[in-house]
Amino acid sequence: MTTALATTNTKASQAGVDLLRIVRINEEIKSVVAVAFKINIMALNAIFLAKRAGTAARGFGVLSNELRVFSQDLRDCMASLTGLIHGCVTEVSLVLQDIRHTRLLRQAVALSSVPRMAAVLAEREMENDRHTQRLVSLRKQLKRALEDAFQMVELGGVLAKSAKIEAAYGQSFALPLAQVSGEFDSIVEEIRTSLESLRRSAFFTGN
Amino acid sequence: MKTTKTIFQDGNHKWVAIVRDPEKPNYLIDTNEYLVTHGEQGILLDPGGAEVFPAVFSALSSEFDPSALAAIFASHQDPDICSSLALWLEFNPKMRCYVSWLWASFIPHFGGTADTFITIPDEGTDISLAGLILRAVPAHYLHSSGNFNLYDKVAKVLFSGDVGAALLPPGEDGLFVENFDTHIRYAEGFHKRWMGSNEAKRRWCERVAQMDIDMLCPQHGAIYQGADVQRFINWFDELQVGIVSA
Ligand SMILES: [Fe+2]
Ligand SMILES: [Fe+2]
Repeated sequence: MTTALATTNTKASQAGVDLLRIVRINEEIKSVVAVAFKINIMALNAIFLAKRAGTAARGFGVLSNELRVFSQDLRDCMASLTGLIHGCVTEVSLVLQDIRHTRLLRQAVALSSVPRMAAVLAEREMENDRHTQRLVSLRKQLKRALEDAFQMVELGGVLAKSAKIEAAYGQSFALPLAQVSGEFDSIVEEIRTSLESLRRSAFFTGN
Repeated sequence: MKTTKTIFQDGNHKWVAIVRDPEKPNYLIDTNEYLVTHGEQGILLDPGGAEVFPAVFSALSSEFDPSALAAIFASHQDPDICSSLALWLEFNPKMRCYVSWLWASFIPHFGGTADTFITIPDEGTDISLAGLILRAVPAHYLHSSGNFNLYDKVAKVLFSGDVGAALLPPGEDGLFVENFDTHIRYAEGFHKRWMGSNEAKRRWCERVAQMDIDMLCPQHGAIYQGADVQRFINWFDELQVGIVSA
């Protein structure tokens, strides 16, 4: 096997692996979005519960409101992650197409002696570099956006823990409030675990 | 690499067949490409699939300056016909592609933009190659529903696309049909199964029988010449097509 062909094969399998990793990331993002939506509903219920509990649960009500805002922010954040993911899919697809075209153009250069074809191949390789660079940049943006999401979830965790504490002051409503805040906490934990696994994705670590 | 064979020449008016690549993997159907040149210009008929682009390009460039290719003629939309389009356009973005109007928005999935395609109406059209008139002759439903042959009245050559195609066994790779009866066995299955309309076939046979043809050049298999042209038309006229055992 020639070095050029071996490099082409490695690049193609790398792009294939990248595409698979991107798909996994996207599936995880979809599950976070679904969970974030659940927090929104739970927060709405919690706000009503706090209203019924009256002044004793005022603090809990404020926190539930914050959690509702958090769930919306989280969904917005995930929407921008999804946009970046789609961008990555486009670029990886282009890279896969580039690889095939480059292989065929390289063969044409090797078989023929048309000087213009060598120039076409050089242009193709420059275009390939542009696609690769765009993918590198999108990968960085995605990583940064994921870090932002993670920070946001840390804040959500603090809110859920505070809600747990506030629930204790809910007098006769203490038990249902504790139950709701416990659910908040475990859901935020679930999201944190998801995001943590995303951060560890080999798509970012490059292994 | 493919070989080139000049099958007609009158000054710089030429028909060159680009055929038989011993290095082509067997899982790809073998295809014949044809280059027609006139004046300083050339048109490539059914340029082939993306995977055979390197072999076709290099063979063609041994005969002709590929930058002087003005156009591609795609008899229909199949991948073995024109999935190499993006690569040809990468070499020369100004190249045009003649194709049935039916496929003008399908073939861009292989490559090209709105500017690339010159659509052929169902009744056919004349294509000028530096003053030489080539006629796109309707061959719809044989097998594709939007399908054309290309006729050169001066050279008396008909490029017939998938009509006349034969799937030749290894070893039987002559460029011209030598023994019609032996050869036609390799064409029979293809025509019965790929061609769908007896009515379209009858009309094609009537039309082509009127034309003055020395060579009938299919996209697969061997070229019919002389009396074998009429033999083929008669044989095809008799054949029942659109047959599947399932
Ligand atoms: Fe076909
Ligand atoms: Fe074909």
